Amino acid sequence: MEPAWRADGDGGLGGGPAPELDVHATGTAAVTLPGLTAGGCALLVFVSEHCPTSALALRRLGPLCAAWAHAGLTAIAIFEDPLDVAIRTARRLGWTGQVAAQEPPYPASRAYRLATVPTAVLVGRDGLVAGAVVGWDRRAVAGLLGEAAARLGAGLPVPPEEGPLTKPGCSSKAAIDPDLVAAMSADGGGDDLEEMFERGWTDGLPVIPPTAERVAAMLGGRDGGESLGLVPPAMGEATLARVAACAVLAGCRPAYFPVVAAAARAVLDPAFNLHGQAVTTQPAGQLVVVNGPVREAIGLNSGMGALGPGFRANLTIGRAVRLLVSLTGGAMPGAMDRATLGQMGKLGFCVAEDEEGSPWEPLHVERGFAAGRSVVTVIGSDAPLSISDHRSRTPEDLAYVLAWAAASAWSTNWWPLAEPSVYVICPEHAQMFRAAGWTKQRLREFMFDAVRKPARLLLRGETTPAVHAADPGTLVPKWASPEAIVLLVAGGEAGRYSAVLGPCTGMGSRIVSREVESRGG
Amino acid sequence: MAADYVSPFDERVRAAEPLAPRPAGVAGRRVVLLDIRKNRGAEFLDRVEALLTAGGAATARVTKEIFSKPAALGLIDEIASGGGLVVEALAD
Repeated sequence: MEPAWRADGDGGLGGGPAPELDVHATGTAAVTLPGLTAGGCALLVFVSEHCPTSALALRRLGPLCAAWAHAGLTAIAIFEDPLDVAIRTARRLGWTGQVAAQEPPYPASRAYRLATVPTAVLVGRDGLVAGAVVGWDRRAVAGLLGEAAARLGAGLPVPPEEGPLTKPGCSSKAAIDPDLVAAMSADGGGDDLEEMFERGWTDGLPVIPPTAERVAAMLGGRDGGESLGLVPPAMGEATLARVAACAVLAGCRPAYFPVVAAAARAVLDPAFNLHGQAVTTQPAGQLVVVNGPVREAIGLNSGMGALGPGFRANLTIGRAVRLLVSLTGGAMPGAMDRATLGQMGKLGFCVAEDEEGSPWEPLHVERGFAAGRSVVTVIGSDAPLSISDHRSRTPEDLAYVLAWAAASAWSTNWWPLAEPSVYVICPEHAQMFRAAGWTKQRLREFMFDAVRKPARLLLRGETTPAVHAADPGTLVPKWASPEAIVLLVAGGEAGRYSAVLGPCTGMGSRIVSREVESRGG
Repeated sequence: MAADYVSPFDERVRAAEPLAPRPAGVAGRRVVLLDIRKNRGAEFLDRVEALLTAGGAATARVTKEIFSKPAALGLIDEIASGGGLVVEALAD
């Protein structure tokens, strides 16, 4: 079959030597034609992110690359875009071959005298161009692969006969006047906020572009190359620079960065099992609780509206952590984040405890830190459920109401829960326990004892093996132990609304705390 | 010149591992069955194991610590050295 060779309209390279590639890729080794053709043949697929026909070609050819590689045909997608855009686009479209990129003025595209993307060029081991296909032409691509198969003496899979069988390509950027290219890619030439969406650097809301200057300011002289570990599920490396980029994207001020970094270290502790939380069908989010002097220093709100909007530090710190998980870690909803419903706390959820208004030792002290230290604690948790109680006049009544509000956390019948339910006790409710002299432990044990049901009442629908094994009259507690009840204090002075956040269950996930870095004391 | 951004992505590309050759049959092969501890996954593996055994395969069962965490490296080594074929039970 005759390949449709007309990369530049005059067939200038057909049968001639293939120009060496001036491109860059992620590995340390340079991309060279001898390297690409070492197995037998190379298929160079020139593409551009914004070209729908390029996307079509990548999607149709991408799944075949591994089989081609087995037979000796190395496929490489050569983008006329920055490398990060190239990698993301290739990944999104299911391209499994190699990826390379070229910057203006697109030397590889110029060397091959491209007028159009996509253009697929077949290069033999002899370094000669064996044929090419311009735009998308399924039959011509099959012919080109037939030529490769004949040279390799092996069968090569071809793209399925699905429409569209042909589709015109887009202009190669190398074929556009250099001045025009410069104008198209210049600062201010585009909408940088829209560009963030195009790059996929978002959680669905507008973000602050992470320019090198902003990231440097966020880092504040810290070593951006320092690694905090790998972020599951995609195991992207959380360099401090990437954590800072996420903090910029989220809208953090540089003063927040020590808290973001501490939270990042905490969620990356294997005991937290971020891997399971990030990909689960559960709605699990990563609740970030902040204690200590840093709350006031950076303006974290622990008062009125403590779980709601209005305060930059609360909203952006939690968001930075979630962006780290979804971007560096690859857990984007609908991709590796498989949450059935999700919940708004997965945009980010950062709570500061009202230590001054609390009758009890704050969370970080309970967890073994000195009161004067600033500490971040992360907890895998569900969305908050508000608990209204304006009428209780004894601590026992109030504790009973608070405790039973959690009866449906996770499930009405999946008892007992080993994982924590997090209570945010409002100041008016806290005051009742303070006046009665209740310690935190007393409240916790009262609540634990209060919520029990006979096993026979828990037998409908999904329930636990423990319930199935129990005598029908045996009282089963909601929680496996009092320690599964976490108590914080936060909120406005007026109003008797506390809240409970259900658990992330079945993950073996532990609560993890990390001290916030303190510079200069 | 476009703005110089710091990407939140780890841009390194991992080379795709080629799939191992698919077996023509299971007779005489050793098959490792991985129970990831998802609810009722063991029942699925019981059925698969019966079919494999009927087909002439020898089977071995291994279990992950918990379904929501990656398998321990030691377990992966055990699987890799324990048989030529693997079946993993995923969900409830």
